[in-house]
Amino acid sequence: MTVVDAVLTACPFCPCGCGLYLQCDDGKPSGVAPSRHHPISQSRLCARGWGAHEAPAWGERLTEPLVRRAGGLTPVSWGEALDAAVSGLNDVRATGKAVGVLGSARATNEENYLAARLARGGLGTGDLDSCLRGTYLPLARGISRGSGGRAPQGSLVEIEESEVVILFDGDLARSHPRAAFAVMQAVARGARLVTVSCLRTQLARLAATHVRVAPGGQQEVVAGLIASVVEAVAAESMTERRAPEPAAEMAEDVKEAGRWYAQAERASLLVAPEAAVGNSGEALGFALASLSQAAGHLGRAGSVVLPLPVRWNLRGACEMGVGPDVLPGLRPLDDQAALDRLARAWGRPPASPVGRDAAAMLGAVGGLLVVAEDPPSPLRHERAAREAMSQLDCLVVLDAFMTPTVRAAHVVLPIASHAECEGTCTSADGRVQRVRPCASPPGSARPGWLVLAELSARLDLPSQFGSAGEVLAEICHVIPAYQGLDHRALDHGWGAVVAPKSDARPVESFPQVAGAQRAAGDGSYLLTLDGVFDWGSDPLVALAPTLSRDFVSKRKLFAGGFLEMCSEDAEALGVRPGWPLRVKSRHGEATLPVMVRRELEPGLLLVPFAFREQAEGVLGGDDVVAVQATRPAG
Amino acid sequence: MEPVTAQVLAKDRVGEWIERLMAEAEVIAPVLAHGGDEVFAPIRSPGEVLWEFTNPVHPPKRFLLPQTDPVVAIRRGDNGYELEAIVDERRRVLLNVRSCDVAGLAFLQHVHAADLPDRSYLERAAATTIVCLSCPDPCPLGFCICSGAGPFAREGYDLQLSDIGDLLLAEIGSERGGELLAATDGFFRPATLAEMAQRQQLEEKAKQLLSEQTCHFASAMRRVSTGRVAEDLWRKMSDWCLECGACNFVCPTCFCFSVKDRHNGDGWLRCRTWDSCQYPAFTLEASGHNPREERRDRIKRRFFHKVSAQYYQRDGMVGCVGCGRCVEVCLGTTDMPAVVAAIRKGEWHG
Amino acid sequence: MDSLFLPGVARILDVRDETPDTKTFRVVLRDRAAHDGFEFQPGQFVELSVFGCGEAPFCIASSPTRPEYLELTVRRAGQLTDALHRLGAGDEIGLRGPCGNGFDVAAAAGKDLVFVGGGIGLPPLRGLIWNVLDQRERFDRVTVLYGARTPNDLVYKDELKRWAERSDVEVLVTVDRGEPGWDGIVGMVPVLFDRTELHPRTSLAFVCGPPVMITFVIQDLLMRGFADHAIISTLERMMQCGVGKCNHCAIGHRYVCRDGPVFSYSQIKELVE
Repeated sequence: MTVVDAVLTACPFCPCGCGLYLQCDDGKPSGVAPSRHHPISQSRLCARGWGAHEAPAWGERLTEPLVRRAGGLTPVSWGEALDAAVSGLNDVRATGKAVGVLGSARATNEENYLAARLARGGLGTGDLDSCLRGTYLPLARGISRGSGGRAPQGSLVEIEESEVVILFDGDLARSHPRAAFAVMQAVARGARLVTVSCLRTQLARLAATHVRVAPGGQQEVVAGLIASVVEAVAAESMTERRAPEPAAEMAEDVKEAGRWYAQAERASLLVAPEAAVGNSGEALGFALASLSQAAGHLGRAGSVVLPLPVRWNLRGACEMGVGPDVLPGLRPLDDQAALDRLARAWGRPPASPVGRDAAAMLGAVGGLLVVAEDPPSPLRHERAAREAMSQLDCLVVLDAFMTPTVRAAHVVLPIASHAECEGTCTSADGRVQRVRPCASPPGSARPGWLVLAELSARLDLPSQFGSAGEVLAEICHVIPAYQGLDHRALDHGWGAVVAPKSDARPVESFPQVAGAQRAAGDGSYLLTLDGVFDWGSDPLVALAPTLSRDFVSKRKLFAGGFLEMCSEDAEALGVRPGWPLRVKSRHGEATLPVMVRRELEPGLLLVPFAFREQAEGVLGGDDVVAVQATRPAG
Repeated sequence: MEPVTAQVLAKDRVGEWIERLMAEAEVIAPVLAHGGDEVFAPIRSPGEVLWEFTNPVHPPKRFLLPQTDPVVAIRRGDNGYELEAIVDERRRVLLNVRSCDVAGLAFLQHVHAADLPDRSYLERAAATTIVCLSCPDPCPLGFCICSGAGPFAREGYDLQLSDIGDLLLAEIGSERGGELLAATDGFFRPATLAEMAQRQQLEEKAKQLLSEQTCHFASAMRRVSTGRVAEDLWRKMSDWCLECGACNFVCPTCFCFSVKDRHNGDGWLRCRTWDSCQYPAFTLEASGHNPREERRDRIKRRFFHKVSAQYYQRDGMVGCVGCGRCVEVCLGTTDMPAVVAAIRKGEWHG
Repeated sequence: MDSLFLPGVARILDVRDETPDTKTFRVVLRDRAAHDGFEFQPGQFVELSVFGCGEAPFCIASSPTRPEYLELTVRRAGQLTDALHRLGAGDEIGLRGPCGNGFDVAAAAGKDLVFVGGGIGLPPLRGLIWNVLDQRERFDRVTVLYGARTPNDLVYKDELKRWAERSDVEVLVTVDRGEPGWDGIVGMVPVLFDRTELHPRTSLAFVCGPPVMITFVIQDLLMRGFADHAIISTLERMMQCGVGKCNHCAIGHRYVCRDGPVFSYSQIKELVE
């Protein structure tokens, strides 16, 4: 049953998978209420969830289709706009230049699926990606390969019942509050928490053991944990045989953590996204799966191995095939069965070349279709991306909100926000939930799935979808993991959970876990970026009055950027909050004001992701650099 | 024991009675929403109303103090700006509100009427009839008896209903409550002494079920009011709070807000919007200075406002009605009973 | 009963640049009767609306003895003040108030008055200073001590000169950092205490400025023998409603917008977070 003034929908911020009621008053989203019986949120919501109504109601919304004419964006009819988008992209293709498509973690499964379908089916391009894919998919893929497709496994709620939780922490309390609460609950119930991080985060302060690592140094800890687990397991089960030599120089805390993990009945491995993991995500994932397997937790009921995507529907976007080297369902491009299945559903064979990723695409393609994203904001090299966007011959943008990318577009197609559209999303732990509208889209904005279907049809890709539900029906038809989705649970329950990919390949051998690249010892501090994603650049936060105040205020006060250090280091250097500090690496130098943050370990300097450009001279494209820090003269 | 004037209504006529109410006003009652969630919502038919239910996690305060509450309409006219106060005098009946929420609404009435009266709240409240449904079976998380807010309401209601078998007994708590009964002539008849006694027994039984004191406000108040809570205790607690603000939003007595302008056609609506004293920038000044930058200071602030003697004197009650909602929604472990216990014992479990 | 949140529409008559980031707005309420009925004390503030941007509190910088207009001196420090700075003569804003308690002028009668202002802290004192000067005979000695970071950051430069020219007011101005062309005093505000004659026992000191400056100045005044109740200051807090409801500006159970913004130091000491 539905109530008059509220609808149950999925929280649109992080991928924890909470449910909430969006209330509507006078045609606009006006408030939020928690759901008592939702299995994930269970009456709880974080600050972002409580602000889910704000951006759609208060933010600058796109209300009519726009086409760039004589330098300015001009309102046109939907027919004109769709024609302009298609002819613009076709003109680019006619000149021999490539066109690309960007899906988004901010878009529903239906929108992402149709974006992938439009790219490989309609435009015949493999240049297809979402900007945040690289922060998640390699890790998830590594876990999947290392586990024979049995992991990622487990749910956030199961974490609460764990006896041991090992958390590779970015800053879960800030990035994924519901997951952080699960960890907190486990600790309150007596679980041993092991945090592995370069920050003494809020959760680290609750930990039984905090393993301090250099940025990017998680793999060494995983290797140590595996060694300890092997030792513990051997000591238990192979008493007859000689136990393996204990790993040399294994830190006592890691050794103990490994023992706990091996001995626990139910244990959780959680990975929060962190910038410094960079390209080594797949190796880290593989190692984590090995760790879980060695301790016997792999496939065990109640045990959890879960990487947390950095944003809402990132997992869904990947699974819908938004990526340069995958087909929908995360199938490899040479999977003939998958290709055949898609060809039958699409009425046209999918293009199967390996494409470029989001960063490489910008600057290489002449035309770009962007769904619900401001690509430079989440990309590592924002300025270069922004420059490349401005050079495009044709930029078509579908979005609900005004963003810098919309301002640079040639064709703007206004779509419904999360508060006005139908669709589904997929949470970190694989729960597919309905997104339900509580209001009508403003002006003549349309649902994103409808706009993508109309674009596809204009590209001669058969797309007879009458509703978001019909798009989901095709998704369920072509993606094996979604085939068994329980539609009753979707509609009347709390969503349906996708099973771990049953058609995963056998465990692949994988090169030895390699130590993360260490910074050369030419400086006294390590400098790295904090986070891989900046909520402040997300329209759902930036355009929400309460949320932007609480998440972005420090950024506004120091709009030119800042770097963070612990108070001990600030004292040693003789700098106070707000004072400038010069940092110099082998690449170059920068001078930024200092902010004191107690979570930092001595010797570590962090620059918020939002200010990566201000530190680029020092980072020089690296994730972590050694720097000399001095007070500038004068 | 004061004599209670009460009337009774046969349960099989409740539907008709509610239909009468619906003809005069928007009737808001606990109903089932998605998946069995209990919520307060405007009803479409009397059959939707729940009579046996766990109190909804979202209190009925939002019908008097919405999360987004337009207070002034701003328009550009021919001769400059035209401003108009928005007054909501829509008649509402809040039906089957529990005694804790009745106490919460009485608290909100007090703070909005005190000092400078807040018309936008008071007019909405004046048009709202509160029908309480007493709690013979106390809810698992509630501790209303610790703050004197239940399980039966003593004041603040227009009518209080009690379920006495085949009948509903209605106590009249206000003139409006009396009029409500008078206007529905024929549905109600005066209660007999036996029926009154039945209601009394229900209350005694419910009080016994709640008799364990679980939230000792008095001793916490002594420490909080005189600053005798160790800073380190606030610091430890603050590690168990994820600053979600839910404790504020679902609290029947919380009312902090901000004021902002939202686009509306050619002009704007100036809205009062819910805010939380637990949010990091709640006290951030334009200069960048923030007197409560640390989470421990914000938690300390919350509990000073809730249980200090200073506020008790000002508001006439502790800022807690014992509904237990903060226990249910806390994204952490810093709910009212847990923090009160920590203050009293001087130690935190963590 | 009027809505607590309904502003009156006011017209900007004139805008003066004080410093590169500070302007003084002279305004009248559009409704003549409302303007005439607008009674206030120096030290009280108004909630100023820039329509579409919301509202924010600003101390009234003019004196009730000059009722034909209100003046507000505003530094650009955010979205609302940015928008306000873009407005000019003829544009309309909203005013709600007066809010807060204001200075107790009657209690100052017959006393020596020392005004100590720092940076953008002079505007709240300015209304009081004019109020005092317009009834000069009611008070004994009047001293104005004012400091800013640089000569560029001094507000009301012309008025400071005019006050200094009067024989019945002593005016001393200092800047933290001198600049070429500045031949005045250099140093933080408390250096001025050594350059004037203070009479702690017969004086009231009115102190306004940034929180850090207020702290230093009050400590200095206490050392020089001022009693707690003879030091009067204004507190700055984040405010939303200005009418004691929204809880943003609460310190303990006191509300800066209702119980203040003017507090004596003896009251300030009693305030506990």
